[in-house]
Amino acid sequence: MAGYARHVLVIEDDAETADQLVDCLKSSGYQVDLAVDGEEGLRLALAADYVVMTVDRMLPRVDGIEIIRRLREQGIVTPALILSALGEVDDRVRGLRAGGDDYLVKPFAFREMLARVDALARRSGTTVKETILRIGDLEIDLLTRIARRRGREIELLPREFRLLAYLARNVGQVVSRTMLLQHVWDLHFDPTTNVIDVYVGRVRRKIDSGQDYPLIHTIRGIGFCLRAPE
Amino acid sequence: MLLSKTVRSSSTLKLAFVYVIAFCAAIFGLLGYVYWSTVTYLHKISDRAISIESDLLTKAYESGGRDGLVTFINRRLADAHFSEWAYLLVDHSFDYIAGNLKGWPASFSGKEGWSTLASVDWQSEPARRPPVRVKHQLLADGNRLLLGRDNEDLDRFSESVTIGLASAAVIFLILAAAAGISTSRRSVARIEAINATSREIMRSGLGERIPLRGTGDEWDGLAKNLNSMLDRIEQLVETNRQVSDNVAHDLRTPLTRMRGRLEKACHQQLDLSHYRSLVNDTIGDLDEILTTFSSLLRISQIEARDRTAAFRDIDLSEIVREVVELFEPTAEERAVRLQLSAGRTVSVFGDRDLLFDAISNLVDNAIKHGGDQREVRIAVAQGADGPILSVNDRGPGIPIEERNHVLRRFYRLERSRNRPGNGLGLSLVAAVANLHDTHIVMADNFPGLKVELHFPKLQPAVASDFDHQERSWAIGVSNPSR
Repeated sequence: MAGYARHVLVIEDDAETADQLVDCLKSSGYQVDLAVDGEEGLRLALAADYVVMTVDRMLPRVDGIEIIRRLREQGIVTPALILSALGEVDDRVRGLRAGGDDYLVKPFAFREMLARVDALARRSGTTVKETILRIGDLEIDLLTRIARRRGREIELLPREFRLLAYLARNVGQVVSRTMLLQHVWDLHFDPTTNVIDVYVGRVRRKIDSGQDYPLIHTIRGIGFCLRAPE
Repeated sequence: MLLSKTVRSSSTLKLAFVYVIAFCAAIFGLLGYVYWSTVTYLHKISDRAISIESDLLTKAYESGGRDGLVTFINRRLADAHFSEWAYLLVDHSFDYIAGNLKGWPASFSGKEGWSTLASVDWQSEPARRPPVRVKHQLLADGNRLLLGRDNEDLDRFSESVTIGLASAAVIFLILAAAAGISTSRRSVARIEAINATSREIMRSGLGERIPLRGTGDEWDGLAKNLNSMLDRIEQLVETNRQVSDNVAHDLRTPLTRMRGRLEKACHQQLDLSHYRSLVNDTIGDLDEILTTFSSLLRISQIEARDRTAAFRDIDLSEIVREVVELFEPTAEERAVRLQLSAGRTVSVFGDRDLLFDAISNLVDNAIKHGGDQREVRIAVAQGADGPILSVNDRGPGIPIEERNHVLRRFYRLERSRNRPGNGLGLSLVAAVANLHDTHIVMADNFPGLKVELHFPKLQPAVASDFDHQERSWAIGVSNPSR
């Protein structure tokens, strides 16, 4: 991804959380601006062009959802990841309705946060929609919905194809179980069983078994990653 | 004081007094009218008698002149029947001619017609001097005739009527007041019993109950309702206590593990890979705790009915198909056959995420606890009273006596205590079912467990957000379980 595009705005009022967010994002190569209240956040978001912003739900002066709403009114579509301690309820619905692009409940694993920021950054960076994705010797045709490896067609159920396509769109990025549930099944809750792992396991068998190298990797404690060997 | 302070300040007593006063006013009005009409009637009768006598005197005067009149008067005076009558004949200068009065009454003006005189001078001094009702006639020869009758009988009669009516009124008043006081005393006593119980509960806890009298009256009804409310509160408090106990218990184990690891990291020299695995394990344990907390929070929020914004018409069959598809690999891994029978669209009004989560929990349980006969049947059907989802396994089932407990938070059957899981899955199912006005029915599948969710009938056209808000809390879990 282009270097200039990796500029992230963090709007967070809790000093320690803010430090951790900034450190975490910086260490994975983002340039980070920090705003400690809603007003400043709004000012920065209006002034500069960020690739992604993370917005705390509860902020002094201007509320997180309000910031997103005002930005969207002004036509600014910077992808926003809402970080909230409010959790469940209808809050997620409210946040996403206001124009938030993703929602993460505190406390969260920083790698999960990073995975989501990466996904949003990638989305905002992708201007040309490719119809055929290629990862190593895997080829995914989004139009005909056919996946091939070394030219051999792999039989996938529709949902399995969606899962593979989602992993492929986020190639090289870690994707969490909750993200999969959200984007492949359109469900918004954290799975408490290992059902997603087992499901991914079956897709992995179809994709990777009998091949030269594995493409789908399990990232311990976080989720999965589709990547070709270096 | 006759009445205790609580009785004196009781609103029932005040109300009773208002009634007593209104009642007495009505009684006095009625008795007053009776008195007035009786006395008027008696006076009318007396006046008629005087008129008749006056006619007789006039006739005597017309036929026998003045002498005839005197004779008639003297005859009357001799007659004992006319002792209460007064006669006086005077000439034009008011000098005495005949009669039983000493002379013309000094206070009397002398106008013709009817008058009532406070007293007259009787020739024979009577024991009493009641007022006299008189009729005054001017005769043709210039003499004046005064004819009257004392009102003694009449007065005596009205006196006794007055006394009778007054004593009746007093008796009424006393009875009404007594009834009012006794009613308020009784209600105050019952309320006091309730108050005493409330005070006792505030002081010592929820164990107390309001005593019943067994009369089945409205007070007993109130007491019964309050008692069942107390039962419910006690049960909720108990559940809460158990939940906190269980949380504490479930947290202690991973927290102890974490503490041990951190101590080890602090006091021992370890190489980097050791530190890393130690930190990873700790994060794993923390995640487990956080998962438990978010599950608990989620259940509480669902129970608090906070989550109805996402309600809409959804196809239950579709959700179940998706759940089954998601669990297909898991079932396969455990060599369980998932049998799905969900054909037609079956509409329910609800939250897709929550229903998916709840049904996932049921299917997950069935797969995990399904026993050796590896088959789980999942069916969606349109019953007469609404859609029914059933998940049946062939495992050991749940003993009847435990079915009531398994929906509780952290409740785990003895045999599954050592398996992974936090004992919150079925609590979530129960909370989601409750939110959707849905009954959970647990039954024996001979062998195995049959769990059914009985959804309410979807009323066409009323399935809007507003209507949902109106739906009552009365969802009862008819046969709570796992």
